[in-house]
Amino acid sequence: MISPTAAPFTRRRLLGGAAGLAAAAFLAGCGGPAAARDAGPPRRGGVLRVGVTGGGASDTLDPHSPATNPDIARTLSLYEPLLHWDDAYTLQPAVAEAVRPEPGARAWTATIREGIVFHDGRPVTPDDVVATFARITDPDDPKSGASQLGVLDRVVVAGDRQVRFELSEPSPVFDQYLAEYSCGIVPADFDVSRPVGTGAFRFEAFSPGQQSAFVRHDGYWRPDEPHLDRLELINFAEDDARINALLSGQVDAIDQVPLSLTEVVGSYESVRLLTSETGAWLPFTMRVDVAPFDDVRVRQALRLIAGRDEMVNQVLSGLGAPAADLYGRFDPQYLDPRREQDIERARDLLSAAGKPNLSVELVTSPIQAGTVEAAQVLATQARAAGVEIGLRRVDTSTFFSDQYLQWEFAQSFWNTRNYIPQASQSSMPDAPFNETHWDDAEYQAVIRRARSELDPAVRAQLVRQAQRIEFDRGGYLIWGWPDRVDAHQAYVGGLVPNRTGLSLSGYEFRKAWVAV
Amino acid sequence: MTSTSPLTRLILKRLLVSVLVLLVVSLLIFGATLLLPGDPARAILGQQATPERVAALTEQLGLDRPAWERYLSWLGGVLTGDLGFSAATQGPVTELLGGRIAASALLLVLTAVISTPVALALGAWAAVRRGTRTDSALSGISLVLAALPEFVIGVLLVVLFATSVFQILPSVTIARPGEPVWARPDQLVLPVITLALVVIPYVIRMTRATLSEALDAGFVEMARLKGMPERTVLLRHAVPHTIGPVAQVIAMQLAWLAGGVVVVEFLFRYPGIGQALIDAVANRDVQVVQAITLIIAAFYVLVNLAADVAGILADPRIRTSGGVAQ
Repeated sequence: MISPTAAPFTRRRLLGGAAGLAAAAFLAGCGGPAAARDAGPPRRGGVLRVGVTGGGASDTLDPHSPATNPDIARTLSLYEPLLHWDDAYTLQPAVAEAVRPEPGARAWTATIREGIVFHDGRPVTPDDVVATFARITDPDDPKSGASQLGVLDRVVVAGDRQVRFELSEPSPVFDQYLAEYSCGIVPADFDVSRPVGTGAFRFEAFSPGQQSAFVRHDGYWRPDEPHLDRLELINFAEDDARINALLSGQVDAIDQVPLSLTEVVGSYESVRLLTSETGAWLPFTMRVDVAPFDDVRVRQALRLIAGRDEMVNQVLSGLGAPAADLYGRFDPQYLDPRREQDIERARDLLSAAGKPNLSVELVTSPIQAGTVEAAQVLATQARAAGVEIGLRRVDTSTFFSDQYLQWEFAQSFWNTRNYIPQASQSSMPDAPFNETHWDDAEYQAVIRRARSELDPAVRAQLVRQAQRIEFDRGGYLIWGWPDRVDAHQAYVGGLVPNRTGLSLSGYEFRKAWVAV
Repeated sequence: MTSTSPLTRLILKRLLVSVLVLLVVSLLIFGATLLLPGDPARAILGQQATPERVAALTEQLGLDRPAWERYLSWLGGVLTGDLGFSAATQGPVTELLGGRIAASALLLVLTAVISTPVALALGAWAAVRRGTRTDSALSGISLVLAALPEFVIGVLLVVLFATSVFQILPSVTIARPGEPVWARPDQLVLPVITLALVVIPYVIRMTRATLSEALDAGFVEMARLKGMPERTVLLRHAVPHTIGPVAQVIAMQLAWLAGGVVVVEFLFRYPGIGQALIDAVANRDVQVVQAITLIIAAFYVLVNLAADVAGILADPRIRTSGGVAQ
């Protein structure tokens, strides 16, 4: 299955894509859609129809195991966690008005917002919060939110509006885990067939793989929000269909415009592009415990082979920023280093490692827009250094089969996270997704200390130290931060750039309004 | 003619062969789904699958049983109207497919009802005027259309009528939960036209060819010489001669449509079985894939059977002697 030159075009793509979209680009000039009306000031009322990428027959309304984009968009409309990441990726209160650590950070106390109610009008009680976390971490059926709550020992009621989180070890960043969208607060008697939360929209209808509809939650706690009376989320499996639906006016907004098509879509007068810088990353993963990647010089050589600017240009059509093998772009302690392509040094490192004519197989899969293209560019760049990268293309479900986390040289994708939560997910021996089998003893000691260090200055120091270790010897090759590009009709207002990596202002449609 | 006339026996024989063909097809489908890469249980649970949940689901889906045993129980279910269990929806396949089969059938019926008379009329027109400029223009256009894949036709129609040039028709099908697709007829226009434009050229060309042949044949010349009006010559003598071959082509086109809807449904986001098939393959929802493939195969076989029968009934030589056609 090794094919060093993978064909970038399928027949369908060539015929359909080229003919259709070239024609679209050409005809866009002569068509001249009706003059665009602008969104104007916030307006109460109206319907927003949103085309969302992905989803299928297994779509769910479960607040604690959203898998696809439509799942996440529904989750963020119906439910809210105790805390919330805002557009600038800083923590803000949501269902809780405050979440504070006790001295030592072995326990945290959340105070529920006064007067906050579920869709059915009942107030949120500490019992509901306790039941929510019992549901997420149910040992018989752990939800996807559970993997981040490993340090959580017990949740207990601690007052009329207080809930106490008791941890197995001190965790000064525990509040960041509570802000993930998969930790939405639900009533103690929650039943997924009657999906009740505190989110800005109340459930109305749902057909899996097709569409879901929501109406305004009149008791919502944020003043003046939501603006809309009704929200409809429509699944789209196919890029062309989603873009066509926007251009023909059947939907008001779509997520994820393919980066190669942003110019075509943006040329329509009636359409506005929404471009967000994100902390999302699409790494190559090198397993540090198998040859040849067990030799740090091989990992360093591959990292020097990658021409990051070229990858951003070719894979992301320039819509993104080069990265330098570190994640956590929006962490206050992010080092923001540079790493330039250096083929000469890469050759020297490979010679020193005794592998001047290295040949490796890279497992690639369309797990996210751009992954396969990135693999192709890397394979081309590697040839200049005498490294032969054979591409083995597999489909997504094969990629995430039981071989996931076992691939020796593959790819992955992650959304925005700060450094310590990300390391706990992907770079520690107890991390659920340690794709690179990274097991550096010094690194682990630093992260363990950082995770429980209470002094912010010392913790910052440790996080910077951990980044330096990963920059020097880690198993990730992180080449870029892709921008997120969405599109909406000019008459839709309130959607602003958002750093979380989620589309359309973090799928927070409470902020949106439509002009008359 | 007795009660078991050669004609009845011929049709019964065809029916038996069709059943055998379907049985072979069911074996092929089952074999092919075994070859699909990836583990269905993991595909359903996604990236967050834990070993315990994978094991539980594997057992629930019966994936730990031997293949022949699964095939037999699947076949038994199909024969009793139970198409199996969808792993993705956690419900019966019949429930998932019910509305979708109706939606796809609507697309097929509309296409057939619109394209067949149009194509027959145009084909006959071209045959009567064979050799003229109208005839060659029609031939040229149908040749070009026949050469374009349905995906290109669909995209061009969308560009023309929905997005870039005129914005007069919807480009995708969006039905509210619980709303049937025919509730908004304007959304059906582009998918139906796309399918019709793919089917029509073949039928035009076949009608023209067989009818031209008949019109030049000796028996038609004879009828003319007897002094019959040209209209009677055409309708009573030439046209019946073409029913067999043309029915075959129409049946082939209908059978093709059952597969062609997969692409068109994908392009227009039409909630039929084609879209369900693509979704099921991506999700490794094996029993749904098997059910849809078998439905499409059964449709193919049935339509061909119907064409055979129409051909037999229309051809006096076969109708009377029985064993000529094989």
